Amino acid sequence: MQISAILALLVVGAVLGCVLGVADKYLRVEEDNRINDVTEMLPGANCGGCGYPGCSGFATALVEGDASKVSACVVSNQETREKIAQYLNETPGPDGQTAKVTV
Amino acid sequence: MELVSLFIGLTFVNNVVLSKFYAICPLLGVSKKPKNALNMGYAVTFVIFLASIITYLLYYHVLTPLGITYLDLITFILVIASLVQFVEMFLKKTSPEIYKSMGVYLPLITTNCAVLGVALDNISAGYTLIEAMVAGLAVPIGFTIVIYVFATIRERLEIANVPESFKGTPIALITAGIMACAIAGIAGLV
Repeated sequence: MQISAILALLVVGAVLGCVLGVADKYLRVEEDNRINDVTEMLPGANCGGCGYPGCSGFATALVEGDASKVSACVVSNQETREKIAQYLNETPGPDGQTAKVTV
Repeated sequence: MELVSLFIGLTFVNNVVLSKFYAICPLLGVSKKPKNALNMGYAVTFVIFLASIITYLLYYHVLTPLGITYLDLITFILVIASLVQFVEMFLKKTSPEIYKSMGVYLPLITTNCAVLGVALDNISAGYTLIEAMVAGLAVPIGFTIVIYVFATIRERLEIANVPESFKGTPIALITAGIMACAIAGIAGLV
């Protein structure tokens, strides 16, 4: 009884997982990995003080050029800001362009 | 004919939002713009329709023969979560605009009680597969109509002269209540 319950759920889960795995292969979106990197460099307070929804929102805005000043993030210190600005000005995106930001 | 009355009954008379009070979260969350409301309606329709078929087949062809029908809740949630994940991937790929405008409410379809409600109601009402499919279409269409109408009313409310303390969500809740009263007027029709 219990064994069949475990097995049934396992099989259902595995089948759904496989379907999602296949779907992921066809529907994968190439994401700009600079967004991820900048998100990790930001303080991660998710305070919204910059006017964007969370740190990942601010990172997206920086990379896509909607925001140009890292200091909009009030939680970050000078060191972090310089690091992010340097990173973004030096690292080109998938289209070969760098994001122009200032500290 | 029975299927038609089932459809009408589930779409309007026993409307999922206004007479069963499922799915209040997206009703309030995604009804700021009529366009977003419609997109939400489409996504929910897709999820509910597929979920009602898959959960029905799983319940009667996997869970019942094995005698483990007590696992229905967790199995259904598993199916619904996977479907929502799929919709999310699909939207992210095909229309990032819609993906962005729906925000957190897209993954939240997983916990939209209308989806689980339809899946469980199909079983407890003893529907056949065809009836379950009709229910899987009728309920989300009812949801879409209500959320769209509600969104247009809210758009009008933005410029209405609402007393200070009722601005925003309070007046929206009152509006939803009045809409529920209107739906209650045709209760028992089908």
